[in-house]
Amino acid sequence: MAIVGSILFAFYAVAAVVVMGVFQWPLWLVLVGSVLFVGVQYKIGKWMALRSVGAEDLSEERAPDLHHRVESLSRDMGIDKPRLMIARMGVPNAFAVGRKGAGTVVVSEELLRTLDDAEVEGVLAHELAHIRNRDVVMMVLGQGVASIVAIVAQWAILMTGDNDIADFFLAIVVGQLTQMLVMVFVFAISRYREYVADGDAAAAIGTGEPLARALEKISRGAEGRDSEVDTQVNALCIFDGRGGLANLLSTHPPVEKRIERLRR
Amino acid sequence: MADVRTLLAIVLGALLGLVCVLAPGAVVRVQTAGRRPDGTGGEYGTDTVSTRWKRVVQALGIGCLLVAAGLVTTL
Repeated sequence: MAIVGSILFAFYAVAAVVVMGVFQWPLWLVLVGSVLFVGVQYKIGKWMALRSVGAEDLSEERAPDLHHRVESLSRDMGIDKPRLMIARMGVPNAFAVGRKGAGTVVVSEELLRTLDDAEVEGVLAHELAHIRNRDVVMMVLGQGVASIVAIVAQWAILMTGDNDIADFFLAIVVGQLTQMLVMVFVFAISRYREYVADGDAAAAIGTGEPLARALEKISRGAEGRDSEVDTQVNALCIFDGRGGLANLLSTHPPVEKRIERLRR
Repeated sequence: MADVRTLLAIVLGALLGLVCVLAPGAVVRVQTAGRRPDGTGGEYGTDTVSTRWKRVVQALGIGCLLVAAGLVTTL
């Protein structure tokens, strides 16, 4: 992971040097600009994540058991109890946003209906591990670096060309491909962090079995739920299943591998 | 003689177009990772992307291929 992190830093350093050279920005301005860019992405991302699923506060009166479990897990993991929210997402799901000390965990109503208490605890422990390990911040930082490098690549093309239609198209395409290239490294870190969060969740509750069962139950439930339209669209996506490109551009490792590791 | 930048635009544009058509989920993940929670188009523990967004990206991919084809005619 240190190597992957160093590669990401190298991408950022090259982009920073280009900005300093081409736009004559001093180093402090590049650094302040980068921090502001990532900070705004973090703030907007958190707000949008909660808004996109219509998350509502889950009061202690409504779910005392859940609150008690989150409180106990947070204490064991050495973090402040995060804000607990609920949303109707149409599928069993849960995610964490924010940082250590100001985290939020959102669970879907469908998840609470699908899983038993122990399995829900496994899922909560996994999400709390993400907050403790600052994985959300890491992903925002990774996406920030990828976006900065892509924007710099785009401007480099635009500023060195004739500004004809081919140049504009080339700038857009190079920006997208550059972002994809940088994100390959961010995704590698993300997949590794998923395994770490699984391990931390298992350590917090003493066993990986509940989380493994939860993943198994949810992935079994997902089978056969694809509509005919989904099947038609997915038939075209020949590189979107598990395989070379899909594996490289995935935030999560395959569920089967996670279950296998949790049961080891 | 063909302009190198136009040739690059054609080749890379076609490449991006193909990636968008054949792996739209991956393209959406590249744009949304760190900005949106994972799996809202799928299930917990996955990073599945909703069919609607895959279609949008595939349409953009076809657009890319068309622009690349259009640039070929200018050579």
